[in-house]
Amino acid sequence: MKTSRPVAASLAVAGYIVMIVPILFVVATAFTGGSTLRFPPEGFSLRWFEAALAYDPFIDALLSSLQLALLATVLALVIGVPVTLAIHRGRLPGKGLVEGLFLSPLIVPELVVGLALYQQLMIGLRLDNFPVLLIGHTVLMLPYAVRVTGASLALADPGLEEAARGLGASPVRAFFTVTLPLLRPGIFSAGLLSFVTSFNNVPLSLLLQSRDFRTLPVTMLDYVQQSYDPMVAATSTIILAGTVVIAVIAERTVGFARIFGGINR
Amino acid sequence: MTTAAEFVGVTQRFGDFTAVDDIDLAIPSGQLTTLLGPSGCGKTTSLRMLAGYTQPTSGRILIAGADATRTPPERRGLGMVFQSYALFPHMTVAENVGYGLKLRKVAGAERRRRVEESLDLVGLGHLAASRPKKLSGGQQQRVALARAIAIRPTLLLLDEPLSNLDARLRVQMRAEIRRIQAETGLTVVLVTHDQDEALEMSDRMVLMRDGRVMQEGAPSEVFTAPANRFVAEFLGYENFIGAADGSVTTVRPEHLTIGRPAPETGLSLEGVVVDVAYRGVDRLVSLETADAAGETVRLVADVRDEAVPARPGDRVTVTAPASRLIRLAA
Repeated sequence: MKTSRPVAASLAVAGYIVMIVPILFVVATAFTGGSTLRFPPEGFSLRWFEAALAYDPFIDALLSSLQLALLATVLALVIGVPVTLAIHRGRLPGKGLVEGLFLSPLIVPELVVGLALYQQLMIGLRLDNFPVLLIGHTVLMLPYAVRVTGASLALADPGLEEAARGLGASPVRAFFTVTLPLLRPGIFSAGLLSFVTSFNNVPLSLLLQSRDFRTLPVTMLDYVQQSYDPMVAATSTIILAGTVVIAVIAERTVGFARIFGGINR
Repeated sequence: MTTAAEFVGVTQRFGDFTAVDDIDLAIPSGQLTTLLGPSGCGKTTSLRMLAGYTQPTSGRILIAGADATRTPPERRGLGMVFQSYALFPHMTVAENVGYGLKLRKVAGAERRRRVEESLDLVGLGHLAASRPKKLSGGQQQRVALARAIAIRPTLLLLDEPLSNLDARLRVQMRAEIRRIQAETGLTVVLVTHDQDEALEMSDRMVLMRDGRVMQEGAPSEVFTAPANRFVAEFLGYENFIGAADGSVTTVRPEHLTIGRPAPETGLSLEGVVVDVAYRGVDRLVSLETADAAGETVRLVADVRDEAVPARPGDRVTVTAPASRLIRLAA
Protein backbone atom coordinates (compact mmCIF):
# COMPACT_ATOMS: atom_id res chain seq x y z
CA MET A 1 0.00 0.00 0.00
CA LYS A 2 1.67 3.16 -1.13
CA THR A 3 0.90 6.64 0.09
CA SER A 4 0.59 7.68 -3.53
CA ARG A 5 -2.88 6.09 -3.45
CA PRO A 6 -4.51 7.82 -0.46
CA VAL A 7 -8.08 6.71 -1.22
CA ALA A 8 -7.20 3.04 -1.49
CA ALA A 9 -5.03 3.29 1.60
CA SER A 10 -7.76 4.91 3.74
CA LEU A 11 -10.35 2.41 2.52
CA ALA A 12 -8.03 -0.44 3.45
CA VAL A 13 -7.45 0.99 6.91
CA ALA A 14 -11.20 1.50 7.36
CA GLY A 15 -11.75 -2.08 6.27
CA TYR A 16 -9.29 -3.40 8.81
CA ILE A 17 -10.92 -1.33 11.55
CA VAL A 18 -14.42 -2.58 10.69
CA MET A 19 -13.24 -6.17 10.67
CA ILE A 20 -10.86 -6.23 13.60
CA VAL A 21 -12.35 -3.89 16.21
CA PRO A 22 -15.48 -5.99 16.95
CA ILE A 23 -13.22 -9.01 17.39
CA LEU A 24 -11.10 -7.07 19.86
CA PHE A 25 -14.25 -6.28 21.88
CA VAL A 26 -15.10 -9.98 22.07
CA VAL A 27 -11.57 -10.88 23.13
CA ALA A 28 -11.56 -8.12 25.77
CA THR A 29 -14.90 -9.18 27.28
CA ALA A 30 -13.70 -12.78 27.49
CA PHE A 31 -11.24 -11.72 30.19
CA THR A 32 -13.86 -9.98 32.31
CA GLY A 33 -14.27 -10.67 36.00
CA GLY A 34 -17.97 -9.78 35.87
CA SER A 35 -20.84 -11.97 34.80
CA THR A 36 -22.29 -10.21 31.77
CA LEU A 37 -21.09 -9.62 28.21
CA ARG A 38 -20.35 -5.96 28.64
CA PHE A 39 -17.68 -3.52 27.50
CA PRO A 40 -15.52 -2.29 29.11
CA PRO A 41 -14.92 -5.53 31.04
CA GLU A 42 -15.18 -5.42 34.81
CA GLY A 43 -11.75 -6.42 36.09
CA PHE A 44 -9.54 -9.19 34.75
CA SER A 45 -9.98 -12.93 35.26
CA LEU A 46 -9.69 -16.23 33.46
CA ARG A 47 -12.86 -17.62 35.09
CA TRP A 48 -14.86 -17.71 31.86
CA PHE A 49 -12.10 -19.66 30.12
CA GLU A 50 -12.21 -22.15 32.97
CA ALA A 51 -15.99 -22.27 32.72
CA ALA A 52 -15.87 -22.82 28.95
CA LEU A 53 -13.36 -25.65 29.24
CA ALA A 54 -15.50 -27.28 31.95
CA TYR A 55 -18.79 -26.97 30.05
CA ASP A 56 -19.46 -30.40 28.56
CA PRO A 57 -21.76 -29.40 25.67
CA PHE A 58 -18.98 -27.12 24.34
CA ILE A 59 -16.27 -29.74 24.73
CA ASP A 60 -18.43 -32.42 23.06
CA ALA A 61 -19.29 -30.02 20.26
CA LEU A 62 -15.63 -29.06 19.86
CA LEU A 63 -14.67 -32.71 19.46
CA SER A 64 -17.52 -33.21 16.98
CA SER A 65 -16.42 -30.16 15.00
CA LEU A 66 -12.79 -31.28 14.91
CA GLN A 67 -13.80 -34.78 13.84
CA LEU A 68 -16.08 -33.48 11.10
CA ALA A 69 -13.58 -30.90 9.83
CA LEU A 70 -10.74 -33.42 9.76
CA LEU A 71 -12.69 -36.11 7.91
CA ALA A 72 -14.24 -33.66 5.45
CA THR A 73 -10.81 -32.14 4.73
CA VAL A 74 -9.30 -35.53 3.97
CA LEU A 75 -12.26 -36.42 1.74
CA ALA A 76 -12.14 -33.08 -0.09
CA LEU A 77 -8.42 -33.54 -0.80
CA VAL A 78 -8.81 -37.15 -1.88
CA ILE A 79 -11.45 -36.08 -4.39
CA GLY A 80 -10.14 -32.60 -5.22
CA VAL A 81 -6.46 -33.28 -5.91
CA PRO A 82 -7.01 -35.89 -8.66
CA VAL A 83 -9.67 -33.61 -10.17
CA THR A 84 -7.15 -30.75 -10.22
CA LEU A 85 -4.58 -32.97 -11.91
CA ALA A 86 -7.13 -34.03 -14.51
CA ILE A 87 -8.12 -30.41 -15.18
CA HIS A 88 -4.56 -29.09 -15.48
CA ARG A 89 -2.63 -31.98 -16.96
CA GLY A 90 -5.12 -34.44 -18.40
CA ARG A 91 -6.72 -34.53 -21.82
CA LEU A 92 -10.15 -34.02 -20.35
CA PRO A 93 -12.93 -32.84 -22.66
CA GLY A 94 -14.89 -29.91 -21.21
CA LYS A 95 -12.22 -28.97 -18.65
CA GLY A 96 -13.86 -25.59 -18.04
CA LEU A 97 -17.18 -27.21 -17.27
CA VAL A 98 -15.62 -29.66 -14.82
CA GLU A 99 -13.72 -26.90 -13.09
CA GLY A 100 -16.88 -24.78 -12.92
CA LEU A 101 -18.76 -27.67 -11.35
CA PHE A 102 -16.16 -28.10 -8.64
CA LEU A 103 -16.02 -24.37 -7.92
CA SER A 104 -19.81 -23.92 -7.87
CA PRO A 105 -20.22 -24.58 -4.12
CA LEU A 106 -18.61 -21.15 -3.63
CA ILE A 107 -21.59 -19.53 -5.38
CA VAL A 108 -24.61 -21.71 -4.58
CA PRO A 109 -26.13 -20.47 -1.28
CA GLU A 110 -25.26 -22.84 1.52
CA LEU A 111 -28.82 -22.84 2.79
CA VAL A 112 -29.96 -24.23 -0.54
CA VAL A 113 -27.30 -26.95 -0.43
CA GLY A 114 -28.21 -27.68 3.17
CA LEU A 115 -31.92 -27.84 2.49
CA ALA A 116 -31.39 -30.12 -0.50
CA LEU A 117 -29.23 -32.47 1.55
CA TYR A 118 -31.74 -32.38 4.39
CA GLN A 119 -34.67 -33.22 2.11
CA GLN A 120 -33.02 -35.83 -0.06
CA LEU A 121 -30.63 -37.59 2.30
CA MET A 122 -31.94 -37.14 5.83
CA ILE A 123 -35.68 -37.25 5.09
CA GLY A 124 -35.60 -39.14 1.78
CA LEU A 125 -32.94 -41.76 2.53
CA ARG A 126 -33.22 -41.54 6.33
CA LEU A 127 -29.46 -41.16 6.75
CA ASP A 128 -27.97 -40.11 10.08
CA ASN A 129 -26.98 -36.49 10.26
CA PHE A 130 -23.25 -37.18 10.57
CA PRO A 131 -22.74 -38.72 7.08
CA VAL A 132 -24.94 -36.01 5.60
CA LEU A 133 -22.96 -33.29 7.36
CA LEU A 134 -19.78 -34.94 6.12
CA ILE A 135 -21.05 -34.90 2.54
CA GLY A 136 -22.19 -31.28 2.85
CA HIS A 137 -18.92 -30.04 4.31
CA THR A 138 -16.87 -32.00 1.78
CA VAL A 139 -18.79 -30.41 -1.08
CA LEU A 140 -18.27 -27.01 0.48
CA MET A 141 -14.50 -27.53 0.60
CA LEU A 142 -14.00 -28.89 -2.88
CA PRO A 143 -13.50 -25.41 -4.39
CA TYR A 144 -10.57 -24.83 -2.02
CA ALA A 145 -9.03 -28.22 -2.72
CA VAL A 146 -9.33 -27.75 -6.47
CA ARG A 147 -8.33 -24.10 -6.63
CA VAL A 148 -5.47 -23.98 -4.17
CA THR A 149 -3.75 -27.14 -5.39
CA GLY A 150 -4.52 -25.96 -8.92
CA ALA A 151 -2.70 -22.71 -8.22
CA SER A 152 0.47 -24.50 -7.17
CA LEU A 153 0.16 -26.94 -10.06
CA ALA A 154 -0.16 -24.04 -12.51
CA LEU A 155 3.08 -22.59 -11.12
CA ALA A 156 4.98 -25.85 -11.59
CA ASP A 157 6.75 -26.26 -14.93
CA PRO A 158 5.11 -29.11 -16.89
CA GLY A 159 8.59 -29.66 -18.34
CA LEU A 160 9.64 -31.10 -14.97
CA GLU A 161 7.51 -34.20 -15.44
CA GLU A 162 8.79 -34.57 -18.99
CA ALA A 163 12.35 -34.22 -17.76
CA ALA A 164 11.71 -36.99 -15.23
CA ARG A 165 10.24 -39.20 -17.97
CA GLY A 166 13.21 -38.54 -20.22
CA LEU A 167 15.57 -39.58 -17.43
CA GLY A 168 13.83 -42.92 -17.15
CA ALA A 169 10.85 -42.46 -14.81
CA SER A 170 7.51 -44.10 -15.60
CA PRO A 171 4.52 -41.70 -15.45
CA VAL A 172 3.63 -42.97 -11.97
CA ARG A 173 7.24 -42.67 -10.77
CA ALA A 174 7.49 -39.16 -12.21
CA PHE A 175 4.31 -38.17 -10.39
CA PHE A 176 5.49 -39.42 -7.01
CA THR A 177 9.10 -38.22 -7.23
CA VAL A 178 8.55 -34.85 -8.91
CA THR A 179 4.95 -33.61 -9.19
CA LEU A 180 3.70 -34.61 -5.75
CA PRO A 181 6.63 -33.13 -3.79
CA LEU A 182 6.09 -29.85 -5.66
CA LEU A 183 2.36 -29.90 -4.87
CA ARG A 184 2.86 -30.65 -1.18
CA PRO A 185 2.71 -27.01 0.01
CA GLY A 186 -0.39 -26.40 -2.12
CA ILE A 187 -2.14 -29.50 -0.78
CA PHE A 188 -1.15 -28.53 2.75
CA SER A 189 -2.63 -25.04 2.50
CA ALA A 190 -5.74 -26.36 0.73
CA GLY A 191 -6.16 -28.67 3.69
CA LEU A 192 -5.76 -25.84 6.20
CA LEU A 193 -8.25 -23.62 4.41
CA SER A 194 -10.75 -26.46 4.10
CA PHE A 195 -10.37 -27.31 7.74
CA VAL A 196 -11.01 -23.74 8.86
CA THR A 197 -13.98 -23.42 6.49
CA SER A 198 -15.60 -26.55 7.87
CA PHE A 199 -14.81 -25.71 11.45
CA ASN A 200 -16.41 -22.26 11.22
CA ASN A 201 -19.41 -23.26 9.12
CA VAL A 202 -22.83 -22.35 10.50
CA PRO A 203 -25.56 -22.55 7.81
CA LEU A 204 -25.03 -26.18 6.79
CA SER A 205 -24.32 -27.39 10.30
CA LEU A 206 -27.39 -25.57 11.62
CA LEU A 207 -29.72 -27.17 9.10
CA LEU A 208 -28.26 -30.62 9.49
CA GLN A 209 -27.87 -30.73 13.28
CA SER A 210 -29.25 -33.43 15.52
CA ARG A 211 -29.33 -33.99 19.27
CA ASP A 212 -26.40 -36.47 19.06
CA PHE A 213 -24.16 -34.61 16.69
CA ARG A 214 -23.86 -30.87 16.80
CA THR A 215 -20.91 -28.68 15.83
CA LEU A 216 -19.36 -26.06 18.07
CA PRO A 217 -20.60 -22.92 16.25
CA VAL A 218 -24.17 -24.25 16.33
CA THR A 219 -23.91 -25.14 20.01
CA MET A 220 -22.56 -21.67 20.78
CA LEU A 221 -25.39 -20.08 18.84
CA ASP A 222 -27.91 -22.07 20.90
CA TYR A 223 -26.16 -21.05 24.07
CA VAL A 224 -26.17 -17.34 23.23
CA GLN A 225 -29.90 -17.47 22.55
CA GLN A 226 -30.49 -18.66 26.11
CA SER A 227 -27.88 -17.02 28.27
CA TYR A 228 -25.82 -13.94 27.78
CA ASP A 229 -22.65 -14.56 29.76
CA PRO A 230 -18.98 -14.13 28.77
CA MET A 231 -18.35 -17.88 28.42
CA VAL A 232 -19.18 -17.61 24.72
CA ALA A 233 -16.67 -14.81 24.34
CA ALA A 234 -14.05 -16.97 26.02
CA THR A 235 -14.84 -19.91 23.71
CA SER A 236 -14.68 -17.58 20.68
CA THR A 237 -11.31 -16.33 21.84
CA ILE A 238 -9.96 -19.87 22.13
CA ILE A 239 -11.19 -20.69 18.62
CA LEU A 240 -9.80 -17.41 17.30
CA ALA A 241 -6.40 -18.26 18.76
CA GLY A 242 -6.50 -21.65 17.06
CA THR A 243 -7.47 -20.12 13.74
CA VAL A 244 -4.69 -17.55 13.95
CA VAL A 245 -2.16 -20.31 14.57
CA ILE A 246 -3.41 -22.15 11.46
CA ALA A 247 -3.31 -18.95 9.40
CA VAL A 248 0.26 -18.26 10.47
CA ILE A 249 1.29 -21.80 9.52
CA ALA A 250 -0.38 -21.37 6.11
CA GLU A 251 1.35 -18.05 5.56
CA ARG A 252 4.74 -19.49 6.54
CA THR A 253 4.46 -22.57 4.36
CA VAL A 254 2.94 -21.21 1.16
CA GLY A 255 1.95 -17.59 1.69
CA PHE A 256 -1.47 -16.07 1.26
CA ALA A 257 -0.42 -14.11 -1.79
CA ARG A 258 0.17 -17.39 -3.60
CA ILE A 259 -2.97 -19.06 -2.27
CA PHE A 260 -5.28 -16.22 -3.17
CA GLY A 261 -3.28 -15.15 -6.20
CA GLY A 262 -4.24 -18.56 -7.56
CA ILE A 263 -7.90 -18.05 -6.78
CA ASN A 264 -8.05 -14.69 -8.51
CA ARG A 265 -6.19 -15.88 -11.57
CA MET B 1 29.26 -43.00 -41.05
CA THR B 2 26.60 -44.71 -38.95
CA THR B 3 23.20 -43.28 -38.25
CA ALA B 4 22.15 -42.69 -34.64
CA ALA B 5 18.53 -41.84 -35.39
CA GLU B 6 16.31 -41.52 -38.37
CA PHE B 7 12.99 -39.91 -39.32
CA VAL B 8 11.21 -41.89 -42.02
CA GLY B 9 8.29 -40.09 -43.67
CA VAL B 10 7.33 -38.46 -40.37
CA THR B 11 4.26 -36.22 -40.20
CA GLN B 12 2.82 -34.55 -37.11
CA ARG B 13 -0.58 -32.87 -37.20
CA PHE B 14 -2.23 -30.96 -34.36
CA GLY B 15 -5.84 -30.61 -35.50
CA ASP B 16 -5.72 -28.72 -38.80
CA PHE B 17 -2.16 -27.61 -38.29
CA THR B 18 0.60 -29.67 -39.84
CA ALA B 19 3.64 -29.06 -37.67
CA VAL B 20 5.90 -31.54 -39.44
CA ASP B 21 5.17 -32.53 -43.01
CA ASP B 22 6.55 -35.85 -44.23
CA ILE B 23 10.21 -35.41 -43.35
CA ASP B 24 13.03 -37.86 -43.92
CA LEU B 25 16.11 -37.16 -41.90
CA ALA B 26 19.16 -39.07 -40.75
CA ILE B 27 21.10 -38.02 -37.64
CA PRO B 28 24.75 -39.14 -38.05
CA SER B 29 26.46 -40.74 -35.03
CA GLY B 30 29.02 -38.78 -33.06
CA GLN B 31 28.17 -35.49 -34.71
CA LEU B 32 26.34 -32.34 -33.75
CA THR B 33 23.29 -31.81 -35.92
CA THR B 34 21.24 -28.63 -35.62
CA LEU B 35 17.62 -28.21 -36.60
CA LEU B 36 17.42 -24.57 -37.63
CA GLY B 37 14.48 -22.43 -38.61
CA PRO B 38 12.03 -19.72 -37.59
CA SER B 39 9.40 -20.40 -34.91
CA GLY B 40 6.67 -22.70 -36.17
CA CYS B 41 8.95 -24.47 -38.64
CA GLY B 42 8.58 -27.81 -36.87
CA LYS B 43 12.07 -28.07 -35.38
CA THR B 44 10.96 -28.36 -31.74
CA THR B 45 8.13 -30.75 -32.66
CA SER B 46 10.68 -32.93 -34.47
CA LEU B 47 12.91 -32.96 -31.40
CA ARG B 48 9.98 -33.79 -29.13
CA MET B 49 9.02 -36.67 -31.41
CA LEU B 50 12.58 -37.93 -31.28
CA ALA B 51 12.49 -37.72 -27.47
CA GLY B 52 9.11 -39.47 -27.35
CA TYR B 53 7.05 -36.64 -25.84
CA THR B 54 4.72 -36.58 -28.83
CA GLN B 55 4.02 -39.33 -31.29
CA PRO B 56 4.01 -38.77 -35.03
CA THR B 57 0.67 -38.85 -36.82
CA SER B 58 2.35 -41.02 -39.42
CA GLY B 59 5.83 -42.24 -40.26
CA ARG B 60 8.49 -43.97 -38.21
CA ILE B 61 11.30 -42.91 -35.91
CA LEU B 62 14.32 -45.17 -35.65
CA ILE B 63 16.84 -44.95 -32.84
CA ALA B 64 20.05 -46.96 -33.30
CA GLY B 65 18.37 -48.77 -36.17
CA ALA B 66 15.37 -50.00 -34.16
CA ASP B 67 11.82 -48.71 -34.54
CA ALA B 68 11.13 -46.44 -31.55
CA THR B 69 8.01 -44.71 -32.89
CA ARG B 70 5.79 -45.90 -30.04
CA THR B 71 8.47 -46.24 -27.34
CA PRO B 72 7.70 -43.99 -24.33
CA PRO B 73 10.40 -41.44 -23.43
CA GLU B 74 11.52 -43.32 -20.30
CA ARG B 75 12.59 -46.28 -22.43
CA ARG B 76 14.45 -44.39 -25.14
CA GLY B 77 17.56 -43.68 -23.08
CA LEU B 78 18.05 -40.18 -24.48
CA GLY B 79 19.30 -37.13 -22.61
CA MET B 80 17.26 -33.98 -23.08
CA VAL B 81 18.05 -30.41 -22.07
CA PHE B 82 14.94 -28.25 -22.01
CA GLN B 83 14.75 -24.60 -22.89
CA SER B 84 13.51 -23.91 -19.34
CA TYR B 85 16.19 -26.36 -18.02
CA ALA B 86 13.42 -28.09 -16.00
CA LEU B 87 15.64 -28.70 -12.98
CA PHE B 88 13.82 -30.29 -10.05
CA PRO B 89 13.57 -27.43 -7.53
CA HIS B 90 13.13 -29.73 -4.53
CA MET B 91 16.41 -31.53 -5.13
CA THR B 92 20.03 -30.44 -4.85
CA VAL B 93 22.23 -30.17 -7.92
CA ALA B 94 23.74 -33.59 -7.16
CA GLU B 95 20.30 -35.15 -6.67
CA ASN B 96 19.18 -33.67 -9.97
CA VAL B 97 22.16 -35.13 -11.78
CA GLY B 98 21.79 -38.45 -9.95
CA TYR B 99 18.03 -38.76 -10.61
CA GLY B 100 18.37 -40.77 -13.82
CA LEU B 101 21.09 -42.95 -12.29
CA LYS B 102 18.94 -43.74 -9.26
CA LEU B 103 16.15 -44.86 -11.60
CA ARG B 104 18.69 -47.07 -13.33
CA LYS B 105 19.54 -48.57 -9.94
CA VAL B 106 23.16 -47.49 -10.13
CA ALA B 107 24.50 -48.20 -6.63
CA GLY B 108 25.51 -45.46 -4.18
CA ALA B 109 29.28 -45.19 -4.63
CA GLU B 110 29.17 -45.65 -8.38
CA ARG B 111 26.34 -43.13 -8.60
CA ARG B 112 28.26 -40.54 -6.60
CA ARG B 113 31.27 -41.06 -8.84
CA ARG B 114 29.25 -40.54 -12.01
CA VAL B 115 27.44 -37.50 -10.63
CA GLU B 116 30.81 -36.02 -9.75
CA GLU B 117 32.21 -36.89 -13.16
CA SER B 118 29.28 -35.25 -14.97
CA LEU B 119 29.43 -32.13 -12.81
CA ASP B 120 33.19 -31.87 -13.35
CA LEU B 121 32.62 -32.11 -17.09
CA VAL B 122 30.50 -28.96 -16.96
CA GLY B 123 32.77 -27.33 -14.35
CA LEU B 124 30.26 -27.28 -11.48
CA GLY B 125 31.70 -29.86 -9.08
CA HIS B 126 31.77 -27.30 -6.28
CA LEU B 127 28.01 -26.64 -6.45
CA ALA B 128 26.83 -30.24 -5.94
CA ALA B 129 25.04 -29.44 -2.67
CA SER B 130 23.28 -26.25 -3.87
CA ARG B 131 19.64 -25.90 -4.79
CA PRO B 132 18.98 -25.05 -8.45
CA LYS B 133 17.21 -21.80 -7.47
CA LYS B 134 20.44 -20.43 -6.01
CA LEU B 135 22.27 -20.79 -9.32
CA SER B 136 22.61 -18.34 -12.20
CA GLY B 137 20.99 -19.10 -15.55
CA GLY B 138 24.27 -20.26 -17.03
CA GLN B 139 24.93 -22.56 -14.09
CA GLN B 140 21.42 -24.01 -14.26
CA GLN B 141 22.01 -24.71 -17.91
CA ARG B 142 25.18 -26.61 -17.10
CA VAL B 143 23.38 -28.65 -14.44
CA ALA B 144 20.72 -29.55 -16.99
CA LEU B 145 23.51 -30.66 -19.34
CA ALA B 146 25.22 -32.69 -16.63
CA ARG B 147 21.92 -34.36 -15.71
CA ALA B 148 21.33 -35.36 -19.32
CA ILE B 149 24.89 -36.61 -19.81
CA ALA B 150 25.04 -38.58 -16.53
CA ILE B 151 22.74 -41.29 -17.86
CA ARG B 152 25.16 -41.86 -20.79
CA PRO B 153 22.45 -41.25 -23.36
CA THR B 154 22.52 -42.63 -26.89
CA LEU B 155 21.61 -39.14 -28.06
CA LEU B 156 21.80 -35.77 -26.37
CA LEU B 157 18.91 -33.50 -27.34
CA LEU B 158 19.14 -29.75 -26.74
CA ASP B 159 16.03 -27.60 -27.17
CA GLU B 160 17.07 -23.96 -27.68
CA PRO B 161 19.61 -24.45 -24.87
CA LEU B 162 21.16 -21.01 -25.11
CA SER B 163 18.17 -18.77 -25.75
CA ASN B 164 17.67 -17.86 -22.07
CA LEU B 165 21.27 -16.74 -21.56
CA ASP B 166 22.69 -13.28 -22.07
CA ALA B 167 24.64 -12.57 -25.24
CA ARG B 168 28.15 -13.06 -23.90
CA LEU B 169 27.36 -16.24 -22.01
CA ARG B 170 25.62 -17.60 -25.08
CA VAL B 171 28.76 -17.30 -27.17
CA GLN B 172 30.79 -18.91 -24.36
CA MET B 173 28.38 -21.82 -24.05
CA ARG B 174 28.56 -22.53 -27.79
CA ALA B 175 32.21 -23.44 -27.41
CA GLU B 176 31.47 -25.23 -24.15
CA ILE B 177 28.85 -27.49 -25.71
CA ARG B 178 31.21 -28.23 -28.62
CA ARG B 179 33.94 -29.15 -26.14
CA ILE B 180 31.62 -31.47 -24.19
CA GLN B 181 30.47 -33.07 -27.42
CA ALA B 182 34.05 -33.65 -28.49
CA GLU B 183 35.07 -35.04 -25.09
CA THR B 184 32.15 -37.43 -24.77
CA GLY B 185 31.79 -38.31 -28.45
CA LEU B 186 28.02 -38.00 -28.00
CA THR B 187 25.59 -37.63 -30.86
CA VAL B 188 23.94 -34.27 -30.32
CA VAL B 189 20.77 -32.82 -31.84
CA LEU B 190 20.35 -29.12 -31.15
CA VAL B 191 17.31 -27.01 -31.97
CA THR B 192 17.83 -23.30 -32.55
CA HIS B 193 16.45 -20.31 -34.42
CA ASP B 194 19.83 -18.56 -34.38
CA GLN B 195 21.74 -19.01 -37.64
CA ASP B 196 25.06 -17.89 -36.13
CA GLU B 197 24.71 -20.52 -33.44
CA ALA B 198 23.93 -23.19 -36.04
CA LEU B 199 26.79 -22.16 -38.34
CA GLU B 200 29.31 -22.08 -35.52
CA MET B 201 28.28 -25.25 -33.69
CA SER B 202 27.06 -27.75 -36.25
CA ASP B 203 28.75 -30.56 -38.05
CA ARG B 204 25.56 -30.75 -40.00
CA MET B 205 22.65 -28.35 -40.18
CA VAL B 206 19.07 -28.91 -41.24
CA LEU B 207 17.08 -25.85 -42.26
CA MET B 208 13.34 -26.20 -41.80
CA ARG B 209 10.31 -24.18 -42.79
CA ASP B 210 6.59 -24.95 -42.47
CA GLY B 211 7.30 -28.49 -41.31
CA ARG B 212 9.58 -29.36 -44.23
CA VAL B 213 13.32 -29.66 -44.66
CA MET B 214 14.52 -26.86 -46.94
CA GLN B 215 18.17 -27.81 -47.06
CA GLU B 216 20.67 -29.88 -45.13
CA GLY B 217 24.41 -30.23 -45.15
CA ALA B 218 27.61 -29.01 -43.54
CA PRO B 219 27.38 -25.32 -42.52
CA SER B 220 29.87 -24.22 -45.18
CA GLU B 221 27.98 -26.11 -47.90
CA VAL B 222 24.65 -24.62 -46.94
CA PHE B 223 26.04 -21.15 -46.42
CA THR B 224 27.94 -20.89 -49.69
CA ALA B 225 25.22 -22.53 -51.76
CA PRO B 226 21.78 -21.77 -50.35
CA ALA B 227 19.22 -23.83 -52.22
CA ASN B 228 16.48 -21.22 -52.34
CA ARG B 229 15.52 -17.71 -51.35
CA PHE B 230 14.20 -18.72 -47.93
CA VAL B 231 17.47 -20.37 -46.95
CA ALA B 232 19.46 -17.45 -48.32
CA GLU B 233 17.37 -14.90 -46.42
CA PHE B 234 17.51 -16.92 -43.23
CA LEU B 235 21.31 -17.08 -43.42
CA GLY B 236 21.59 -13.32 -43.86
CA TYR B 237 21.72 -12.81 -47.59
CA GLU B 238 20.13 -9.47 -48.37
CA ASN B 239 20.42 -8.75 -52.08
CA PHE B 240 17.95 -10.47 -54.39
CA ILE B 241 18.10 -9.46 -58.02
CA GLY B 242 15.54 -10.70 -60.53
CA ALA B 243 16.59 -11.67 -64.07
CA ALA B 244 14.54 -11.38 -67.27
CA ASP B 245 13.84 -15.15 -67.21
CA GLY B 246 12.26 -14.92 -63.73
CA SER B 247 15.18 -16.49 -61.85
CA VAL B 248 16.66 -14.73 -58.82
CA THR B 249 20.32 -14.13 -58.15
CA THR B 250 21.71 -13.26 -54.74
CA VAL B 251 25.01 -11.85 -53.57
CA ARG B 252 26.24 -11.10 -50.06
CA PRO B 253 26.70 -7.44 -49.04
CA GLU B 254 30.47 -7.89 -48.57
CA HIS B 255 30.85 -9.06 -52.16
CA LEU B 256 29.28 -5.97 -53.70
CA THR B 257 31.76 -3.32 -54.75
CA ILE B 258 31.01 0.34 -55.38
CA GLY B 259 32.62 2.44 -58.08
CA ARG B 260 35.02 -0.05 -59.60
CA PRO B 261 35.04 -0.84 -63.34
CA ALA B 262 32.58 -3.57 -64.24
CA PRO B 263 34.03 -7.10 -64.37
CA GLU B 264 33.86 -8.90 -67.68
CA THR B 265 31.35 -11.37 -66.42
CA GLY B 266 29.20 -10.86 -63.37
CA LEU B 267 26.99 -8.13 -62.08
CA SER B 268 27.02 -4.43 -62.90
CA LEU B 269 24.17 -2.11 -61.95
CA GLU B 270 23.63 1.64 -61.77
CA GLY B 271 22.01 2.83 -58.56
CA VAL B 272 21.38 5.70 -56.17
CA VAL B 273 22.67 5.68 -52.59
CA VAL B 274 19.74 6.08 -50.19
CA ASP B 275 21.35 5.46 -46.84
CA VAL B 276 24.77 4.98 -45.29
CA ALA B 277 25.20 3.35 -41.88
CA TYR B 278 28.66 3.89 -40.42
CA ARG B 279 29.77 0.98 -38.24
CA GLY B 280 33.42 1.68 -37.52
CA VAL B 281 35.10 -1.16 -39.37
CA ASP B 282 32.80 -0.75 -42.35
CA ARG B 283 29.84 1.10 -43.82
CA LEU B 284 26.55 -0.46 -44.87
CA VAL B 285 25.50 1.38 -48.01
CA SER B 286 21.88 0.97 -49.12
CA LEU B 287 21.16 1.60 -52.78
CA GLU B 288 18.15 1.62 -55.00
CA THR B 289 18.43 0.23 -58.47
CA ALA B 290 16.34 -1.55 -61.09
CA ASP B 291 16.93 -5.17 -62.05
CA ALA B 292 16.66 -6.76 -65.48
CA ALA B 293 12.97 -7.44 -64.90
CA GLY B 294 12.42 -3.70 -64.38
CA GLU B 295 11.61 -4.01 -60.66
CA THR B 296 13.03 -1.57 -58.13
CA VAL B 297 15.54 -3.43 -55.98
CA ARG B 298 17.14 -2.34 -52.76
CA LEU B 299 20.71 -3.52 -52.38
CA VAL B 300 23.04 -3.40 -49.40
CA ALA B 301 26.77 -3.20 -49.92
CA ASP B 302 29.22 -3.74 -47.09
CA VAL B 303 31.97 -1.24 -47.89
CA ARG B 304 35.28 -1.62 -46.04
CA ASP B 305 37.36 0.73 -48.16
CA GLU B 306 37.17 4.17 -46.56
CA ALA B 307 38.28 5.83 -49.79
CA VAL B 308 35.15 4.83 -51.67
CA PRO B 309 32.83 7.83 -51.83
CA ALA B 310 29.21 7.06 -50.92
CA ARG B 311 26.80 9.72 -49.73
CA PRO B 312 23.00 9.64 -49.92
CA GLY B 313 21.96 10.85 -53.38
CA ASP B 314 25.18 9.75 -55.12
CA ARG B 315 24.79 7.89 -58.42
CA VAL B 316 27.12 4.93 -58.33
CA THR B 317 27.91 1.68 -60.11
CA VAL B 318 27.74 -1.54 -58.05
CA THR B 319 29.52 -4.61 -59.27
CA ALA B 320 30.17 -8.19 -58.22
CA PRO B 321 32.29 -10.91 -59.85
CA ALA B 322 30.49 -13.89 -61.38
CA SER B 323 32.05 -16.24 -58.82
CA ARG B 324 30.12 -14.50 -56.03
CA LEU B 325 26.71 -14.66 -57.66
CA ILE B 326 24.34 -17.41 -56.52
CA ARG B 327 21.37 -18.36 -58.63
CA LEU B 328 18.44 -19.46 -56.52
CA ALA B 329 15.62 -21.82 -57.28
CA ALA B 330 12.26 -20.08 -56.97
